[in-house]
Amino acid sequence: MDLDIALILGQDGITSGAIYALLALCILLVFTVTRILLIPLGEFSVFGALTLASIQAGTPSRIVWLLVVFFAFQLILDLYAGFRNKTPFHLRSHILWAIYIGLVVGAMYFLPLASLPMLIQVLLALAVITPLGPQIYRLFFQPLVAAKSLVLLIVSIAVHVALVGIGLLVFGPDGAQTQPFSDAVYQWGNLAVNSQTLYIIAAFFSMILVLWYFFGKTLYGKALRATAVNRVGAQLMGISPIFAGKITFAMAAFMGAFAGILIAPITTLYYDSGFIISLKGFVGAIIGGLASFPVAAAGSVAVGIIEAFSMFWASDYKEIIVFTLIIPFLLWKSLTSRHIEEDHE
Amino acid sequence: MKSKYLFVGFAALMALSPLILPAYQVTLLNYIGLNALVVLGLVLLTGVGGMTSFGQAALVGIGAYSTAYLTVTEQLPQFLMWTGGSPWAGLLLGIVLTVISAFLVGGLTLKLSGHYLPLGTIAWGISLYYFFSTIESLGGHSGISNIPSISIASYALDTSNKMFYLIWLILFVAIILTKNILNSREGRAIRALKGGQVMAESMGVNTFRSKMVVFVISSVFASISGWLYAHNQSFINPTPFGLQMGIDYLFMALLGGVGSIWGAIFGAGIFTMLRQWLQDLMPVIFGNDGQYETIVFGLMIVLLMQKAPSGLWPMLVKLVPPRFKANDLHTELTEPTQALPAGDLPPKGTLILEAKNVTKKFGGLVANNNMNLKIHAGEILALIGPNGAGKSTMFNQLSGVDVPTSGEVIFLGEKINGMLSREIAKKGLSRTFQHVKILPEMTVLENVVIGAHLRGKKGVWASLFRLDREEENNLLNEAKFQLERVGLGDYLYTEAGNLALGQQRILEIARALCAHPSLLLLDEPAAGLRLKEKQALAELLMKLKAEGMATLLVEHDMDFVMNLVDHVVVMEFGEKIAEGLPEDIQKNEAVLEAYLGGAA
Amino acid sequence: MEINKILLVSALAAGSITTHADVRIGVVNSSTGPVAMVGIPQKNTVALLPKTIGGEKVTYISLDDASDPTASVKAINKLISESNVDAIIGPSGSPNASAVIGIIAKAQVPLLAPVGTSTVVLPMNPQKKWVFKTTQNDDLIAQALVEDMVKRKIKTLGFIGTADPYGENWSKVVAHLASSKGIKITQKESFQRQDTSLTGQALKLIAGKPQAILIAAPGSSAVTPQVALYDRGYRGQIYQTHGAALDQFLKLGGKKVDNTILAASLMLVINEIDNKHPSKAIALKYMNNYKKIYGEYPATFGANVYDAGLLLEKAIPVALKQAKPGSIQFRQALRTALEQTKELAGTQGVYNMTPMDHSGFDKRGRVMVTVKNGQWKLLK
Repeated sequence: MDLDIALILGQDGITSGAIYALLALCILLVFTVTRILLIPLGEFSVFGALTLASIQAGTPSRIVWLLVVFFAFQLILDLYAGFRNKTPFHLRSHILWAIYIGLVVGAMYFLPLASLPMLIQVLLALAVITPLGPQIYRLFFQPLVAAKSLVLLIVSIAVHVALVGIGLLVFGPDGAQTQPFSDAVYQWGNLAVNSQTLYIIAAFFSMILVLWYFFGKTLYGKALRATAVNRVGAQLMGISPIFAGKITFAMAAFMGAFAGILIAPITTLYYDSGFIISLKGFVGAIIGGLASFPVAAAGSVAVGIIEAFSMFWASDYKEIIVFTLIIPFLLWKSLTSRHIEEDHE
Repeated sequence: MKSKYLFVGFAALMALSPLILPAYQVTLLNYIGLNALVVLGLVLLTGVGGMTSFGQAALVGIGAYSTAYLTVTEQLPQFLMWTGGSPWAGLLLGIVLTVISAFLVGGLTLKLSGHYLPLGTIAWGISLYYFFSTIESLGGHSGISNIPSISIASYALDTSNKMFYLIWLILFVAIILTKNILNSREGRAIRALKGGQVMAESMGVNTFRSKMVVFVISSVFASISGWLYAHNQSFINPTPFGLQMGIDYLFMALLGGVGSIWGAIFGAGIFTMLRQWLQDLMPVIFGNDGQYETIVFGLMIVLLMQKAPSGLWPMLVKLVPPRFKANDLHTELTEPTQALPAGDLPPKGTLILEAKNVTKKFGGLVANNNMNLKIHAGEILALIGPNGAGKSTMFNQLSGVDVPTSGEVIFLGEKINGMLSREIAKKGLSRTFQHVKILPEMTVLENVVIGAHLRGKKGVWASLFRLDREEENNLLNEAKFQLERVGLGDYLYTEAGNLALGQQRILEIARALCAHPSLLLLDEPAAGLRLKEKQALAELLMKLKAEGMATLLVEHDMDFVMNLVDHVVVMEFGEKIAEGLPEDIQKNEAVLEAYLGGAA
Repeated sequence: MEINKILLVSALAAGSITTHADVRIGVVNSSTGPVAMVGIPQKNTVALLPKTIGGEKVTYISLDDASDPTASVKAINKLISESNVDAIIGPSGSPNASAVIGIIAKAQVPLLAPVGTSTVVLPMNPQKKWVFKTTQNDDLIAQALVEDMVKRKIKTLGFIGTADPYGENWSKVVAHLASSKGIKITQKESFQRQDTSLTGQALKLIAGKPQAILIAAPGSSAVTPQVALYDRGYRGQIYQTHGAALDQFLKLGGKKVDNTILAASLMLVINEIDNKHPSKAIALKYMNNYKKIYGEYPATFGANVYDAGLLLEKAIPVALKQAKPGSIQFRQALRTALEQTKELAGTQGVYNMTPMDHSGFDKRGRVMVTVKNGQWKLLK
């Protein structure tokens, strides 16, 4: 192990680590506002990447039909709720949704996909995956707004399982890789820095900046924070937990898909790659105690680096090392928050 | 119908199945049986104990790999030579290894709270899976094949039909053992884990130990299932022991009903058959292969969680006509063989509890400031004060739920501040709670007998094999006695959740009395009681006082307090502002000032 | 409670065995999971298998094992006990096949396994006499590769394989062969199909400075390590196994996989094969028929199933003379007939089975192939 190798591995580790940190950020975000542990996050990443790959290959991706199917169910459920429970049926928002989905489907099938500029391709992929977030929230989690955490965790896992199956159906068992944003490679002394790495790190920091601004300075962001602190209290102030949930899921889907798109040029992704990647984001989030983002980010990067070095030293045991590491952290977190289990959460 | 008959009927039906069903269905039933065994453990762990675990599949793997290794390896290491590669030795090895792992892993995981617990199980579940796949001598990803069949004497169980009997026999034994342990002193401690840990600890239950017991039992079930699986399949590789299977087991438990034993079998059955059916049906409808059944299962579980979180089994039970339902679910009491060990109460006037300069700070807020008080045997002391005075905090300092920042709490000459509540319970202090802490699904009798936990001795082994019946009967009789004493004798077998709030408060007192304490701490016992109930309560407390009991109560109801107690301590802003006889307190200026803001 | 159990049991009883007059062939492939690239063309080939043989109708029952040996075992059990099959084609993966040998031997059902590992038929024993291979042996392929290495005077070899049965199996085969030819394995690495980066493994391999590196991975995962090695500056000779013999490999790898060497089926370079080669005509017929139905040429793995069909086509009429389909005597006769196959030209080569050799291939069964300018080319 000489300095060169260490630097390469370090760069590798930071690259993966930044992706894990982005995912950890999503997980924290969703958890603090909705108490849901977003296990299906990995699927958003993979769907984003595979959609982009499909677009770049010039094939319209069938994922858009999932949007349509979810929308149809949403429509039925909302109509039923409006009829049965007299909850107001927001015609306007449903029409807007329908128009949006129509546009996306149209774009997918009628635009010359392969020859679009890369930026447009990326935006199209994001435009397709992001709305899946609020749809999933509406269909699977909305009825469970007041449920216990265990139930939410189980539903989260069930949704993940279903999405992996849907992923296989839509994308097939093949892996895919997308074109890098740019082919440039920079030289720092002996180290060749891939431009993709720089993009990832830049995206990471800009996401943090945007979120910091959103949560700290805008009214919507503060409303979300209020929901995180006290759901009923926020509700009394006019902030709908359902609205908070949908926005949070939209953000998570966006960032998740974006993370997938960032990493797709460097590696081949399959329909079932998402789980392991999001699990590593979880490890980072847990290191941050499911509460503090800076610690989670640092933890995620550490995970990435440890993984990179383990791959070098003992590639057979890499997964064991990463997942066993999490246990002391869980223990430490648990012991430092000393409270005996409450009867209700 | 007696539950025994139902059980035997079911067993007979199962015994006939291999004779009438075609071979493949018997194989399916074998899989169901194997899964049900693991899910039974999961029901115990998650449904009853409240600990969600995704790692059961990994424990199954330990059982499977132990026996596979032992029976297939040509060159066994020295210390295993004596086993001769027998599958029964494999069973033993598997159980030993699994229990050791359970102790290690459990010791870690069970200290985790809330979310960390399931995440922790996911972590070690994945680690174990990768461990199985990386070790050369365990066959790596390619697994171990040609595992021999199990033989009893020289009769080899080498067909599905033969293994069927072994699998289902073991499953039935496991069910019986589980039922035994749940209906016992240990069982009540376990059932208190979900939603009643604080209460259980204050009754002397070691909740960590109970969690460990549940964890180890469920891991033993998993290990045995792994043993059966390895010898049934004659081939194993890491895949069935990974996280995916761990999730599947949990889904099975949820489908059936995570809180019910029969739900475990039902859930395992439905899941296995549905999966088979979907795997056959979906490609026909959709044309090509995809993992459709995962989509269907995922969606089904979501729907289930939304509409029927307690699973399908309870729904099914409701549909069964009452004639077929088990109606003897509670234990019949017989005459007690002897009274429970009960020391004499200290003579009247003995100093039971003393608080010396107890101070409690929460950051900058001083909730209790140099509080002093004394309680003697045969005395009732009331702690009163306006809202926010610090009474509940003081109460928590005295009962061991919280630790004072400084000062001492002395019980019968011993310092108890900082002690665990279950240690304090052993000394003879018992309490009730401001927000009633009962287990609503258990009967009144079962709730109350938890209070007698420390007066029983029979542990896990005795409960499993029903060697504890005599002690159990004595304990239950004690609980019955206390319930009659407090006036709830008619409600022994009612579900505790169905009682009115006032009655639940009295239940708590009966429970506290079961511990035969020398000091009773009551937190707002009169809140929510009607006039007659308050009178009855006051009479009860007077009776106890006459018998030598020391009682401390925190109360708001002045009428109740003033006519009952011997001594009053008044708090305001964390400090004692007055102390003395009720008549004097009523005229005390500082007290009037505190409550009314000025002389009346 | 009782009622439900009655319902449960009756539901199970509803599925029953039917007797049959036609010939039933079970097919198990990995159409999903890591080995799907192998399994899908195999499953698709079932449509091209003979629908009648010797005057009897032939029914094929296809099951997926998702690349998992445990699922293979379950699928085989199901075919044997529920569908009472006369023979089984499959599974797609070597470890999957190893897992099911005991079961098919006990039930006495001939297994035609389109898998690479020779361990399913060697050393011959009472169990393995029920197994027949329709794929070149892994060590036949490995031998070709190692011979090439010897020709190029390569003394040091690095190895990287997937952390699954495929890669594991290959690492054993290569280790054995390489050491017998005096080639030292400098490094043995493994990777997960879903890994996002292989830098660590690539660096470790390169650090050992091997003259050549062998990559053993099924399907598109074969590209990732090769690209990683290329990116890290490795320019030594790279060998791939026939798991990479897919057009996907060329597409994903682009320029970076030029000059790779593999030993694979002649189908990859069919147009360069001499017309006199007995397999060329058959392979061309198969490929064109496949294209007619599915719109694209098949991957070579599908051809292994086609060859199984050819073997059965020859053997079943012989067995029919001795017993009726669905009976154990039929299966025993079938097994004997298969064992006596002589000079049968298949798509992959010419089959000659003997009681000791159930693979039947000789050197006519594989060619050395390389990649030039994004195309498969015969290695001269």
